[in-house]
Amino acid sequence: MPPFTKTESMKIKRRFKTVGFVMLIPLFSVLLGLTLYPFGYMVYMSFFRYSLASWERPQFIGLGNYRDILSDRTATSSVDFTLLLLAVAVPLEIVLGLLIAFLLRDTFGERVFRSAILIPMMVPAVVAGIAWKMLYNFEFGPANYFLSLLGSPKVSWLGTQLFSRLGVILVDVWQWTPFVFLVLYAGLQSIPRDVVEAGLVDGASGFSAMRYIELPLLRPLLFVVLIIRVIDALKIFDIVYMVTFGGPGSSTHSYSFYIYKVGVSFGWDVGYASALSVLLLVAVALLTNLLIRTLRLKETLEL
Amino acid sequence: MSWLKSTVKGVLVALVLFFFLFPVYWLVTTAFKKSEEWFTWPPTFWPSSWTLGNFLGLEGGFFGSVTTAITTITPYLRNSIVVALFVALLSTVISALAAYAISRFKVGGMQLVSWIISVRMLPPIASALPLYVIFSRLGLINTWWALILSHLVITTPFSTWILITFFNEIPRELDEAAFVDGAGVWQSFFTVILPLTSPGLAAVATLAFIQSWGEFLLSLVLTTGKEAQTLPLYLGRFITGWRIAWGPLSAAGLVTMLPVVVFSLLAQRYLVRGLTFGAVKG
Repeated sequence: MPPFTKTESMKIKRRFKTVGFVMLIPLFSVLLGLTLYPFGYMVYMSFFRYSLASWERPQFIGLGNYRDILSDRTATSSVDFTLLLLAVAVPLEIVLGLLIAFLLRDTFGERVFRSAILIPMMVPAVVAGIAWKMLYNFEFGPANYFLSLLGSPKVSWLGTQLFSRLGVILVDVWQWTPFVFLVLYAGLQSIPRDVVEAGLVDGASGFSAMRYIELPLLRPLLFVVLIIRVIDALKIFDIVYMVTFGGPGSSTHSYSFYIYKVGVSFGWDVGYASALSVLLLVAVALLTNLLIRTLRLKETLEL
Repeated sequence: MSWLKSTVKGVLVALVLFFFLFPVYWLVTTAFKKSEEWFTWPPTFWPSSWTLGNFLGLEGGFFGSVTTAITTITPYLRNSIVVALFVALLSTVISALAAYAISRFKVGGMQLVSWIISVRMLPPIASALPLYVIFSRLGLINTWWALILSHLVITTPFSTWILITFFNEIPRELDEAAFVDGAGVWQSFFTVILPLTSPGLAAVATLAFIQSWGEFLLSLVLTTGKEAQTLPLYLGRFITGWRIAWGPLSAAGLVTMLPVVVFSLLAQRYLVRGLTFGAVKG
C-alpha cells in the first residue's frame, strides 16, 4: 500500500515544486544577472558607436558596426586563423586522444600515466603559456634544440606567420589532447567487456575488435567531444595572449583575442567589439544547440 | 614477437609522456636555475646547482623585471586565495540547491538544463565586455566581488551538472523514507541527502576552486591593480615585457600551478562527468 492517499500525494507534489523553485533562485539570479542581462545589453550596444575612450555620447548607427566587420582585414584574418585552428588542431587532438586512449589501456602503470597526461589540461593556461614561450625561444629554446638534433636549422617560432600559427596550434594540441583522451578513455572502460570478448571468441583479431566493435560504440561520445572541442577552440585566448600576443603582426590573432584588442586593450571601442561578440555568440549558440541534441539528456537526467 | 610489440608500445608511451610533461618539467627546473643558466646553448636540462634565489628575489638583478620575485607576489596570492575560496563556497551552495531541485523535482525540465549547458559553453570574451560596462556603473571594477561574481558564471553550470549526476545516483527511496518519517524537504535534503553526496560536494568545490584560480580573461578585463588582481594576471603582466627574467617568472608560475595540480589529481575522478555533461560516468 502506498504511504500516502491520492490527494495527499498531489499536495506533496505541489509543495515539492514550490520548494524546487525556491532552491533554484540563487542559480537563476546568477544566470539572469550575469549572463542574460549583459548579453541583452551587448546586443543593444552593438547598434551604437560607443567608445569608452571618447567623451562622445553613444550614437545609434544601426547595422553600421556589422557592416564594418566585412571590410575589416584584421577581423577576417582572425577568422581565418580561428578556422585554421578548427581545421588542424581539433582533428589532431581527436585522433591523438583516441590513439593514446587505446595505447594506454591495459598498460602497466596506466593509472599513473593517466594522471600524468592530465596535467597539461589542469595547469592554468597562463602558466602553460610561460613554459611554451620559453620552449619557443629562438636562440636558446629547447624546441629549436630538439630540431637541431634532427638536423634542422633554428626556426623562428614567434617571428614568422607560418611558425607562430603552427606554434599556437601545437600548444592547443598539447593542452587539449588530454581532455579528449580522458573522456574517450572513460568511454572505452564503460564498454562492457563481454561484448568485446564475444567478438574475440568469434575469431576477431585484437585490431578488428577495436575497429569494428569498440570504435562504433565510441562514436556518439566522439561526436560529443568533437563539438565541445570545436566550441572551445573558437574561444581560444589565454595561450595566444601569453605565447604570441597575437603576433607577429596580426597573424595569430584569434577571434577572441581580436575582440579583446578592439574592446579593451587598444580602443575601448565597445560598440564594435559588441558587434564582433554577437557574431561569436551566434556561432557558439548554434553549435551548443547541436551539442544539446546529441547529448541525449533525457536519458542521462531521467527527465 | 610479443617482446617487439611491448618494446614498441613502451617507446610510444615514453614519447607521449615526454611530449605532455616536458613543458611542465622545463618550467619547474627553470624556477630553480641560477641566472647564468636561463639562457644557454645547448639548453640546460638539469641545473648544475639548484637555487631558491628565483623565489626570494635574489637572482637576475640586471634584468628589467626582477619584481617577479615572490616578495611582490603576496597581494596577488592573497587575492587569488580569497576569490577562489569564495567562488568554491558560493558555487557549491548554489549548485547543490539547484542540482537537487532539478534531479528530484524535475523543475524546469529540458529547457533549464539546456540553458545551463549554454552558459557553460559561452565565450568568456563575450560576457567580459558587457560585465565591464555594468560593473563600472556599480563601482565594482577592481574589486574581489567583480571577480567572484564573474567567475560564478563559469563555475556554477559545471558544478550543477556534476551534482545532478550525483543526486541521480542516490535512490529516491531514501528521500521518501525520510518524508514518511515526517521530515520536511529541507530537513531531508540537509540531513539525509547532502551527507551522502559529500564526495561530490568536495569534488565540485575543488573544481570550482581550480577554475577560478586559473581564470584569466574575465579577470584581465575586470581588474586594474593589485587590490584585486589574481596570480594569472601577475604572470600575464610580465610576459609581454622586454628581457623577461625567466627564472623568477617560472618560480611565480610554479607557485600558481602547484595547488591546482595537487587539487586536480584529487578530483580527477569526477572531472569527466562535468566535462561531458554526463555523457560518460567516468
